[in-house]
Amino acid sequence: MQELLPNLMKRLPEFWKACGDTLLMEVWSGAIIFVLGLIFGIILTVTKPGGIMENRTIYQVLDKIINLFRSIPFIILLTALMPLSRAIMGTAIYVRGVIVPLVFGATPFFARQVESALAQTEKGLVEAALSMGSSPFEVIYRVYLRESLAPIIRAITITIISLLGLTAMAGAVGAGGLGDFAIRYGHDRNMQDITWVVVAVLVSGVSIVQWLGEYFARRNTH
Amino acid sequence: MIELEHIVKNFHADKDKSIHAVDDVSLTINDGDIYGIIGFSGAGKSTLVRCINLLERPDSGSVKIDGVEMMSLKPRELYKARTKIGMIFQQFNLMPSRTVLQNVAYPLKGLTRDEVRQKVRELLTLVDIPDKENAYPSELSGGQKQRVAIARALANDPTILLCDEATSALDPQTTGGVLQLLKDLNKKFGLTIVVITHEMEVVKNICRKAAVMDAGKIIETGDVFEIFSSPKHPVTKNFVRTTSNLSKIETLIKDNSPIVKVETGQVMARLVYIRADVSEPLISYASRAFDIEINIVLADVEIVADSMIGGTVVIFSGDSERIDRAIQYYIDKNIRVEVLKDARVTA
Repeated sequence: MQELLPNLMKRLPEFWKACGDTLLMEVWSGAIIFVLGLIFGIILTVTKPGGIMENRTIYQVLDKIINLFRSIPFIILLTALMPLSRAIMGTAIYVRGVIVPLVFGATPFFARQVESALAQTEKGLVEAALSMGSSPFEVIYRVYLRESLAPIIRAITITIISLLGLTAMAGAVGAGGLGDFAIRYGHDRNMQDITWVVVAVLVSGVSIVQWLGEYFARRNTH
Repeated sequence: MIELEHIVKNFHADKDKSIHAVDDVSLTINDGDIYGIIGFSGAGKSTLVRCINLLERPDSGSVKIDGVEMMSLKPRELYKARTKIGMIFQQFNLMPSRTVLQNVAYPLKGLTRDEVRQKVRELLTLVDIPDKENAYPSELSGGQKQRVAIARALANDPTILLCDEATSALDPQTTGGVLQLLKDLNKKFGLTIVVITHEMEVVKNICRKAAVMDAGKIIETGDVFEIFSSPKHPVTKNFVRTTSNLSKIETLIKDNSPIVKVETGQVMARLVYIRADVSEPLISYASRAFDIEINIVLADVEIVADSMIGGTVVIFSGDSERIDRAIQYYIDKNIRVEVLKDARVTA
């Protein structure tokens, strides 16, 4: 090990902390993105023209906001949102400081994913549920969410994976984590073993998430 | 009783274009009726039936069910009222991620797990698929899916069942089975059934009364037998014609087919039964009584609303005056006679 990964073995505690930081960013921002994205995705679906709670104004406003944030490159969002991050989280660096930009960067993406997952629910199912006396809220959780469980799980998988990419990028502005670790040692000091190990960790992380997502999505497909 | 009064429903496709899906329709459907609403695609039938449970809210008009004005119900009251109006669809609309049991249990509320299970089993027995409760919809045939949908629609013991093209996705044999089930439910529970269809066969098979819709308006209503035996509106005539073999004769005549060739002295005529009680041997009687030959070219007789309907195309040959007397005899017997070809030499 010493010979194969000389630089990494000397910095093991730092490496483990970087892994932990990445995981922490992923979990915190992921949880917030999941809740907000799900809510926005549902609002888009039901307020859309022809939706069960059709509302032109809400739909148009939300649609435009989501498009706006999706078109800003994440690296710009990271710096642009620093003041907001300081206001909400008290800091613009470390794990705490990067949660706000991560949420702003990935929520619109996840909301769109949820919207397209829910759009796969056949209109007939919604109509049948309404004909049986379901209220719009019942239709949301008993038909839309329940019947699109598999596509929603796939949307979560994709979002977690792209979020992993964003957390690595966040490393560049002082968030810590694996991205930061790889840049500081692997890139700046040309310690190639560190670059490769970080890549290996990220690849296996992505694979595990992908495998779990596919497993649960399949279990919910009949 | 379902009372629709002056229902208007427009759809706005573009800014200044609007489609009159339902255009001032009034209709009364009595308790225990099996009522058909027929029309070609796009006539507005599906929109009209959705106005009954307010899946489509009419732009104006009144929808009364058992005297209660549906349009003025608060949302909660409307959801409750809808549980008493079952609905089934052409595409069945079963929830694919739920088993048959879970699908049928969907509208059931406030029952314990055991009560739900028992109720679902009763319903599945009623629709004759008691052994499918753990199957997923994807494992069922079309007919079985529609039976599950019927069980689900009946879960809250509704008094009305709306059927939107419920058999249009099924093959003729399966259609027969589902229609028989609907008939049985009507008889057993006095269920009021509204049947939307473009298939005349369905209306003939189960409806007692029907309305014909075209371009958002109801153009003819009445007993199904009346509509079939003496349609008044051109669209209805066209509709009835498409289902009867007797209309083939026109094509045959146009194509100069050898089977409709008429020799000199012969008369070809279409005899259509317009009364509900044809039981006499009309052909053989006339043939003997007037001493002429009556040759049946084409016949199409079927049962509509428990009465015979249809007629025959025949060729009379024999003495010219006797043929006239035979024709007069049929007219007296309330049979509509249309002379299609007359090859008698006029003196």
